[in-house]
Amino acid sequence: MDLNTFLSSVVAGVGLGSMYGLTALGFFVTYAVSGTVNFAQGSTLMLGAVLSFTLGVRFGWPMWAAAPLGLAVCAAWSAFVEAVGVRPFAKRGSESWLLATVALGLILENVVLFTFGKDPRGMPASFLTTNGFEAAGLRVTLLQIAIPLVGFGIALALHTFVTRSASGKAMLAVAQNRDAARLMGINVGLVVTGAFALSGVFAGVAGMLIAPLYTVSAGMGTLFGIKAYAAAILGGLGNPWGVMLAGVLLGTAESVITAGFGSTWTQMLSFALVIVALAVRPNGLFGRAAVKKV
Amino acid sequence: MTTVTASTRATLVLAVLGVVAATLGAFYGNNYHLLIIGSIAISAIVATGLNVLFGLAGQISFGHAGFFAIGAYTASFLSAKADVPFVLAALAGAALAAVAGALLAVPALRVRGPYLAMVTIAFGFVVEQGSAEWKAVTGGWNGFMNIPRPEWIGGPLTDRGLAIACAVLAAGLLYGFARFASSRWGLAMRATRDAEIAAQSLGANLVAVRTLAFAISAAVTGFAGALFATLQGFISPESFPFFLSITFVLMVLVGGQGSSSGPLLGALVVVLLPEMLSSLAEYRLMFFGGLLLLVLWIAPSGIAGAAASMWTKPRRRQLKDGAMMADEPRVAAYLSREQSARLVVDNLTVSFGGNRAVDGVSLTAQPGRVTSLIGPNGAGKTTLLNLISGFYRPEAGHVRIGASDITAASSHNAARAGVARTFQTSQLFNGMSVRENLLVALHGGSLAGGASLSPADAIALTDALLSWVGYTGSAARAAGELPHVDRRLVEIARALATRPQVLLLDEPAAGLSSEDTDRLGAVVRRIAGLGLGVLIIEHDMRLIMGISDRIYVLDAGRLIAEGTPAEVQQNAAVRRAYLGEGEFEAVVGRVPGEARRTEALTVQGLTTGYGAAPVLEGVSLTVHEGELIALLGANGAGKSTLMRALVGLHRPIEGSVFFAGREIGGAQTHLIARSGLTLVPEGRQVFAESSVEDNIRLGAYGKQPLTNERVEELFALFPKLATLRGRRAGLLSGGEQQMLALARGLAANPRVLLLDEPSLGLAPTVVNELFGALAQLRAEGRTILLVDQMARLALALADRAYVLSSGKIVFAGTAEELKNNPVLERAYLGGGA
Repeated sequence: MDLNTFLSSVVAGVGLGSMYGLTALGFFVTYAVSGTVNFAQGSTLMLGAVLSFTLGVRFGWPMWAAAPLGLAVCAAWSAFVEAVGVRPFAKRGSESWLLATVALGLILENVVLFTFGKDPRGMPASFLTTNGFEAAGLRVTLLQIAIPLVGFGIALALHTFVTRSASGKAMLAVAQNRDAARLMGINVGLVVTGAFALSGVFAGVAGMLIAPLYTVSAGMGTLFGIKAYAAAILGGLGNPWGVMLAGVLLGTAESVITAGFGSTWTQMLSFALVIVALAVRPNGLFGRAAVKKV
Repeated sequence: MTTVTASTRATLVLAVLGVVAATLGAFYGNNYHLLIIGSIAISAIVATGLNVLFGLAGQISFGHAGFFAIGAYTASFLSAKADVPFVLAALAGAALAAVAGALLAVPALRVRGPYLAMVTIAFGFVVEQGSAEWKAVTGGWNGFMNIPRPEWIGGPLTDRGLAIACAVLAAGLLYGFARFASSRWGLAMRATRDAEIAAQSLGANLVAVRTLAFAISAAVTGFAGALFATLQGFISPESFPFFLSITFVLMVLVGGQGSSSGPLLGALVVVLLPEMLSSLAEYRLMFFGGLLLLVLWIAPSGIAGAAASMWTKPRRRQLKDGAMMADEPRVAAYLSREQSARLVVDNLTVSFGGNRAVDGVSLTAQPGRVTSLIGPNGAGKTTLLNLISGFYRPEAGHVRIGASDITAASSHNAARAGVARTFQTSQLFNGMSVRENLLVALHGGSLAGGASLSPADAIALTDALLSWVGYTGSAARAAGELPHVDRRLVEIARALATRPQVLLLDEPAAGLSSEDTDRLGAVVRRIAGLGLGVLIIEHDMRLIMGISDRIYVLDAGRLIAEGTPAEVQQNAAVRRAYLGEGEFEAVVGRVPGEARRTEALTVQGLTTGYGAAPVLEGVSLTVHEGELIALLGANGAGKSTLMRALVGLHRPIEGSVFFAGREIGGAQTHLIARSGLTLVPEGRQVFAESSVEDNIRLGAYGKQPLTNERVEELFALFPKLATLRGRRAGLLSGGEQQMLALARGLAANPRVLLLDEPSLGLAPTVVNELFGALAQLRAEGRTILLVDQMARLALALADRAYVLSSGKIVFAGTAEELKNNPVLERAYLGGGA
């Protein structure tokens, strides 16, 4: 592998990885606030991509209208998942939300399969994909630059929201101590719903941004969702920047493996890395060990 | 050791019926039917394998398609390329899958919940992609063709023969699972599933038990994979997608997690229904998703579970009255030793986050004696028990039992050395019968070794132990259904079944009525009577004073007194720790207050509890505007439960709570808080990661945001906090955190402030400071309901007081009246002191 291939694979990997990270932030947010994870997150990402294609390309809406509406639908979908797939189980202390969210993801995938069609669609070229820079034989498109910028921009916005705004601080309070938060007059149920909606927006943004890089189809979210979940777990689910960083590491590792060994090795090696990493650091690369209560 | 239960028989019947149906189908059906029969049988085998892991050991796997693939490829390769007979090749596949399972157990055991799900998902992908890449063995994406059939008399099996063979194997495994579930290994797995910590406390080695579960589960699944390969005749990486793993989980869930007949039912549903709806093949995902949701919502225990709860009537097989006396010799023969060992704790120390929870504690529990450990909440009693039983590791000091040093032993090794224990909240294996709970303990939770008793002797012994501790219910009853008293008794019997040298009891009388407490006391004395050492933590002073030979008193991690019950009751340090007597009283002084007659908070006939046992019974009290009311009573009297019930954190409740003229009983906590009833909870519960100032501002959430002036006012009340305003609350000392919790509560400008144990765990000087602040609030005319263990101190501030004992109000009157009333001392120190 020459330097150029390596560098371009790193550039691609950072972009891909920041989207893993962004989607993983969604896992992080719901886990922090409610101790539950939305396994329909991959389907939400697919929903974002499909809506941006349908509204923006098929209906010909301008992106400033298509994107917000698409994201609103993603947020609503995630809030719905929380209401029917998480809350009923979390209430009685059951961990069945894990499978219930998987089930909801499958159902959405099937619905999209009928309405959107079986054939994968490619997003048409736009100024983001056709324009770019070239330096020392390395070509980087505007989109490749925009993706990590948006990803990290959103992470920064989340950080600001949580540390500065009253609602963000309330969210942080719920994450730390639910009962105490209730005693402060915080509506914990609403905050949890809000966290799921937020996670839906993150996945939706990721879906819209990666749509031009791949093809858009009903099945596109499953594997991406699992990779993002791996990033969230590797990041330790405890620290947003850890999750983001784990996403970038995973994306870069994948991209470099693909360039070096070929695409069939990508998943095998990256998932093997995940197992090894968790065997060595059971609480994730950047996670803290929880005190075991007796 | 196995016991044949009703469910085992039901499984046997179902398995035989399945084989008959499969055979009939195989003889009258066409090739398509043969394939369906084979698929159902193989699916049932996989589901049985996954059921070992998921149903018995309680560990989820989203990667079982990986084991399935390993079995399939190994069998195919060995039989097609190396001419190994198929049956041997299939067994080799199962063995290799078992090795993979045991290896996967290594990372899987270190992680839990969402992390475990990730490890298994990753495993499935690694195998799927690996099989695509390892072309020499697997044929890569082109797949593996011409997989041989197993040999039977006179040549390879026909399609029909294979279908019947699969059905027979499935039936055998279903029955085998039913037997396995009640075998020693099965019991150990179920115990770790139901209550991991309790299982360890009985001697179960989690690593060994779970590794075994992974290996067995993988072996069965790998074997099924081999059958799948020969049935299909062709496999490729696409035969083993991630989705297949989800389907496996679905089968177990639909059938019934942990049920022995569940896998067959699950396999029938998951294989047959899509085939019957084959015209709607495109809706497959939706079908699976919908089915999964439906099962999770309506029948969390699956078809088998739902059927079982519908058809089985509650069995009531009372033990005979004479049983107890007749069995006494058996129990005595089992439990008594020539020389039981002494438990010696020497200078034990442990800290959490810089706070010395146990600080240089030394004590001895003599065999044949009841040794008690008492002290206020948060004194470190349970921590000490956890150190002795191996759940925590001490920083310094030693724990010895007889001649052996168990200081750094793991919990299961401490158990095997002879330390048995119970838990503050009974930790029974709820999904198992009462008898099975004891059987686990009889084996010391281990997979091999230990007492070797015949099944009949084991049952006789468990029944004898149960009746000996006074359990009169059925031994076949599910532990999860037991009323509170019986849970305590069964837990003690279970601990005894390990044949311990020393028995540790953590608040065994909590939540018991006084009659039941008396009976419990008699049981504890009888246990000591057999020569065992008993170390008991308890708040019920009447019980402690009645049964103890020796009492140690712990306060803030240190021993402050030891002696006989009479000595301890008279000890000045003990009285101070319990009643807050003495030195502070003068400091606070009494602030005269003019109580108004407007009712701010009225409680009428409030009753609530956890499960069956009521914690509060018909509690009525009134707080007037501008009053400071002290709510007193010993630990476990129900004070905190009452506080939590008032603000809606504890439910359900009967009776009514009127606040500011409105009924608020049953309202949501955040709405109660916004209406002006604010609880400063026990243990402070500050938001540790947020800054001091953010904590205070959060106190006014849902109201007008605090003005900067108001924040400064609050800081003026607690000057020390002002200097720490930017610091993370978790870094504050206990006293500072308590001030912060108080400031945060005041930020909402509540009409009534509820304070739950504000002085808990604070140093005396800090307690002084705190009560100074409370006196100031009192002078400002704040309405306060105060729960505090520093009874004398609280009375010095209060206008009126209530005393709660065993969930009932036993005194209501002015603070002055209570000061000289013996009811208070009785409630705290028990007996006629």
